[in-house]
Amino acid sequence: MSFVPGQPVTAVVQRIEIQKLRQGENLILGFSIGGGIDQDPGQNPFSEDKSDKGIYVTRITPGGPAEVAGLRIGDKIMQVNGWDMTMVTHDQARKKLTKKREDVVRLLITRKSLEEAVKHSKGSHPRQ
Amino acid sequence: MEDYDVRSAASILASVKEQEERFEQLTRALEEERRNVTLQLERANLPPNPAISQPLAWQQVVMQEQSPSNATSLAMMQEPQEVVEETVTIEEDPGTPTSHVSVVTSDDGTTRRTETKVTKMVKTVTTRTVRQVPLGPDGLPLPEGSSPLSSYTDSIDRRYMKNGGERFITPQATSTLTRAYNNSYNDSYVETPESQYIRHYGLHDGYTDLTDNYGSLSRGVNFRPPRYPYMPNSYRPENSYTLPIRKDDYGHVAQPQVPMGSSTVDLNRSQPERFQPEPYGLEDDRRSLGPEEEEPYELEPDYSTANRRTLPGTNRGRTHREPLRDVHRVRGYPDDPIEAELIDERHPYIHGMYSAPLAQPERGSMASLDRMAGRRSPSIDSIRKDPRWRDPDLPEVIAMLGHPIDPVKSNAAAYLQHLCYENDKIKKDVRQLKGIPVLVSLLDHPKSEVHRKACGALRNISYGKDNENKVAIKNCDGIPALIRLLRKTNDMEVRELITGTLWNLSSYEPLKMVIINHGLQTMTNEVIIPHSGWEHEPNEDSKPRDAEWTTVFKNTSGCLRNVSSDGAEARRRLRECEGLVDALLHALQSAVGKKDMDNKSVENCVCIMRNLSYHVHKEVPGAERFQDPSALQAPGSAGPQRKKKDDAGCFGGKKAKEEWFNQGRKNGENDKNYDTLDLPKRTEPSKGFELLYQPEVVRLYLSLLTESQNYNTLEAAAGALQNLSAGQWTWSNYIRATVRKEKGLPILVELLRSDSDKVVRAVAIALRNLSIDRRNKDLIGSYAMRDLVSNLPSGQQRPAKNLEEDTVVAILNTIHEIVTDSSENARSLIQAQAIEKLVAINRTSQSARETKAASHVLQTVWSYKELRNALTKDGWNKSHFQPTVTATPKATKNGKPGYDDTTLPLMEKNQDGYSTIDQRDKDCKYKTDDGSADLTEREPLKNDTNRKHYIRSNRPAVSLVDACDVKPQPVDSWV
Repeated sequence: MSFVPGQPVTAVVQRIEIQKLRQGENLILGFSIGGGIDQDPGQNPFSEDKSDKGIYVTRITPGGPAEVAGLRIGDKIMQVNGWDMTMVTHDQARKKLTKKREDVVRLLITRKSLEEAVKHSKGSHPRQ
Repeated sequence: MEDYDVRSAASILASVKEQEERFEQLTRALEEERRNVTLQLERANLPPNPAISQPLAWQQVVMQEQSPSNATSLAMMQEPQEVVEETVTIEEDPGTPTSHVSVVTSDDGTTRRTETKVTKMVKTVTTRTVRQVPLGPDGLPLPEGSSPLSSYTDSIDRRYMKNGGERFITPQATSTLTRAYNNSYNDSYVETPESQYIRHYGLHDGYTDLTDNYGSLSRGVNFRPPRYPYMPNSYRPENSYTLPIRKDDYGHVAQPQVPMGSSTVDLNRSQPERFQPEPYGLEDDRRSLGPEEEEPYELEPDYSTANRRTLPGTNRGRTHREPLRDVHRVRGYPDDPIEAELIDERHPYIHGMYSAPLAQPERGSMASLDRMAGRRSPSIDSIRKDPRWRDPDLPEVIAMLGHPIDPVKSNAAAYLQHLCYENDKIKKDVRQLKGIPVLVSLLDHPKSEVHRKACGALRNISYGKDNENKVAIKNCDGIPALIRLLRKTNDMEVRELITGTLWNLSSYEPLKMVIINHGLQTMTNEVIIPHSGWEHEPNEDSKPRDAEWTTVFKNTSGCLRNVSSDGAEARRRLRECEGLVDALLHALQSAVGKKDMDNKSVENCVCIMRNLSYHVHKEVPGAERFQDPSALQAPGSAGPQRKKKDDAGCFGGKKAKEEWFNQGRKNGENDKNYDTLDLPKRTEPSKGFELLYQPEVVRLYLSLLTESQNYNTLEAAAGALQNLSAGQWTWSNYIRATVRKEKGLPILVELLRSDSDKVVRAVAIALRNLSIDRRNKDLIGSYAMRDLVSNLPSGQQRPAKNLEEDTVVAILNTIHEIVTDSSENARSLIQAQAIEKLVAINRTSQSARETKAASHVLQTVWSYKELRNALTKDGWNKSHFQPTVTATPKATKNGKPGYDDTTLPLMEKNQDGYSTIDQRDKDCKYKTDDGSADLTEREPLKNDTNRKHYIRSNRPAVSLVDACDVKPQPVDSWV
C-alpha cells in the first residue's frame, strides 16, 4: 500500500458501512484513528511502508459499531463517504468521520489480508 | 466596423486577388517545406500551433499595429518589466506539538512563493499574435464600445461561412484568406490597410504577396476554434517568414497608413514609428527594433525558401513589441468549453465548419476587458481601437512551446508566465493541456533565453493553492531538471527563478522529500554556502566574508526552511548535508555582526536552525553517549516513569513529585559541575550538525532575540532555544546553564510582553524547558511570574493581547512547571494575583485545554500545605483548587483530578498515552492533549502552505514533564 505522492494508488479495498451509535448528544463509531499527513508516519505501527501518512484504525471498541461492521485494527482508511483519506491531516480525517449530521459512515478500507487474498487468487487460479 | 468607410473596397479586392495569384505560386513551393515542419511539430506532440501558421499575416499587420499597441502599452509594460513578486508567507505553524520537549518545531513552513509577472515577455509574445491577427486589411479597429473579441468572432464566422468551402480545399488558407477579408471586413475598414499593404508589398513583390496571403491565413488560424480546422497551415512554423516583411512594413507601411481615414487607423500606424525607438525594455526586443528596416530584407530570401532558422532572430525582435493587453483577452479564453475539444482533436475541416459558432470569445473577451480595465487600462484602449489584434489562446501558446524556432519558444513561455500570473484558472488549464511537461523539457534547452522563460512560467505555475500544479511539475521530473539547471547556469536571474520555483514546490508536503533527494546538496553548494560567506577553509589573511542577502539565497533558504519541517528523516538529511549548518550559522553570525537581521533570509535561516534543533538529543548520531547520567540514574529511567504517571493522569502524584525533586537536585548538581568544570574541551572545532547544540549558539540566538524586530525570527530563535533546552542530555544541560550565564533569562522574560502571540508562546515554552535547570527555575519563578500571569485571560475576558488558546495553554503549562517542586515559586504565583485568574479559567473557560491546564496548576498550588493558610485568608477554599466538575463536565472522569478523561463510554480508557479527542467537545477541536496531553507529541505540523494563517489550535500543549523522554506518541483520535 505504499504509494508515491502524486501517483495513483492501487489497492484492494473493502467497503464497510458503520451505523453510528447515538449516546445522548454524541454519535459514536467505536474506533480510533491514527496517522495523517501531519503526523509522523514512522510511528505508525500498522503501516508497511513507514512513510505512509495515511489514516489507520488504531483501536476498536469491543462490541462497538465499528467492530460490528467488520472494521479491524490496522485497516487503512482510503475514503470516508467518498472523501479521500490518503492525503489529509489527522484532524481532517477525524472531522469527516464525526459529522453530526451523518448517522452512517461508509468507509473504503484496505488491509493487508485483502491484498494477499487477491494475490493468491491471481496466482493460482489462472493457471489451473 | 460598419462605420468605417468602405472606400475602395473594390479596388482593394482587385489588387488582392492579383496578389493572391502570385502568392499561390509561391505558396505551393513552400508547401512541401511546411509539411515537413508540420510533421515535426506534430511529432513533438504539441498541439498544432495555430499561431505559427499565422505568422505571415502578422508581419504585415504587425507593422501597423505594433506601433499603436506599443504606444498604449508602453506605460504598462515598463512597469511590468520589473518582476512583480507576490509573496505569500505562510506562517509557519509551529505547530508543534511538542511534547515534552517542547519544542516546537514546527514547521515553519513558511512558504514564500513568488509569482512574477513578466511583462516583457508578454510583449513579445503578444506581438506575434497580433501580427497574425492583423491580417490586416480587414480587421481594423472596431468601433468603440464593441468588444474586440466579438468583432473578431463575427468576422471569422462570416469568413468561414462564406469562404469555407474554398479554403478548406486549399490547405493553404492564403488564397481564401484574402477573400475572407473581403467578405467580412470589406464593409468596414478593409480598404485602408489593404491598399497600403499592397503598395508596400509592391516593393518586394514576392514577399508582399506572400504576406498578404499569410495574413489571411493567419487570421483564420487565429480564431481559435476555426484555426484548428485549418491546422495544416497552422503547423507551419511560419513565424520566421513574417519577420522580414514587418520591417518593411514598418518603414513604409506605417507612414502611409497614417494618412488613412479612420482615427483608429491613424493611431496604429503613426505610433509605430515612435515606438520603434524604444526598446520594450526587453533585451530581445531591442534587437529586433533597431535594425528593423534593413535586416528584414535579407531575411526575405530565406523566407521564401522556408529557411526558418535564419528568421528566428528577426522574429524575436519583431515579436517583442507586443502589447500586453492582448494577453488579457486570452485569459478569458479558458471559459470556452470548446477549447478542450479542440485541442484533442483537430479535424481541421470539420472544426472549421463549426468554428464560427464555437468561437465565442466573448466571454473571454469580456473577462479580459474587465481585467484590463482594472489594471491595465492602457491596453484596453488599444484593443478597442484595433480589433484585429488577437492573442493566441492557450493551446496555441502551449503549442508554440514546441516550435522549432527558439525565440518562439521563449516568447511562448514568457507569455505563459504572464498569463499564469495570479490566475489559477489558467494555471490549471496549462496543466490540463499538458503544458507543464513541455515547459520542464525546455529547462534543458541550451539557450538561456528559452530556459529562463520556461523557468519563469514554471515559477508562476508552481505558485498557488493548487497543489496539482506542483505535483504535475514533479511528475515530469521537473525537480531534477530545475536542479540540473541550477548547477549549470550562472545567470542570476535564472537562478532566482529556479530557486523561487523550488521554494514554491517545497510548500507542498509530498514534494519535500523529493526536493531533498534531488536538490539538497546542490542548493547547499550552489547557493547557501557561497552566499553565506562561509568558507570550508578560511583563508587566514582575508577577513571572513559576510553573507549576501541575495534573492537567490532568500529563495533557497525559504525552500530549505519548508523542507526542514518534513519530519525526522528530513531533519537528518539536512543536518548531515555537508556545509549546510556551518553556512547557515555563519550567515546568522554575519547578520548579527552587521545588525542586519530583519530580513527574510535571516528569518529563513533561523527557522531552519530551529527545525534542525528539534529532537537533536534523540536524533543526532551518537546522541546516546551524551545522555544525561542523572537521567539514567533514575531507576527505570525517568522518562518512562513519567510517562506512566502522565498516562495515569495523576498529576503531581507523590512519586512524581519526589522524582521531580530529585531531578531538580540533580540538575542543581549538574549546574555546579558546569560552573566549575566548564564546557568540555574540544580537541577540534565542531562542525556540521554538532554546531547546532554547541553552547556558543546560545549567544547567537540571544542576540537575535534582543535585536530582531521580525516576529518570525523572534519566534524561531526562541523556538531554537526551546528545542535545545529540551531533553536530558549533556548538551541540553549546557545550553540551559549557558542561557542563564549569558543573561538570556531577562531577554526571554522581556519577550513575554511581545504583541505577537507566537513569540509569547515560544518564549513561554522555552522558559518551561529552561526551568528544568533548578537554578533557572528559581530565577524564572522570581522574575518571570508576573509577566507570565499578565498574559493570562481573566475569566472570559481575554487580555488586550487576546492570545490564542495554544498560547494560554503554553503559559499555564509553564507556570505549572515552575511551581512544581517549588513552594517558593508557588508563593510568587499567589503574590502575582494569579489565583483569581486561574480559578476563573478553570471554571469558565470555553476551552477544555485551558481548563485542564489551569486545573493542574491549581492542584499543585493547593498541594503545598504551607500555602493554604495564605490562600484561605484570601478567601479561597479547597473547592477552588479542585477540578470543576460541574462547570466543566468534561474535565473529570474516573476521579482523576485535572484530567479530562475523554473516554467515551464505549471506549476503553486509554492506557497508552494516546491522546484522545473528546468527541463531545466539538468546539475544542484539538483536544489531543487531554488526558495524556503531556505525553503527546506530534511531529511538527506540516504547514498547510496554502493558508496564510495557520490554525494554531492544532497543537497539543507541550509539557515539560516528560522531557526526558518518551518517544513521541502518535496522535490518535476516537471517533
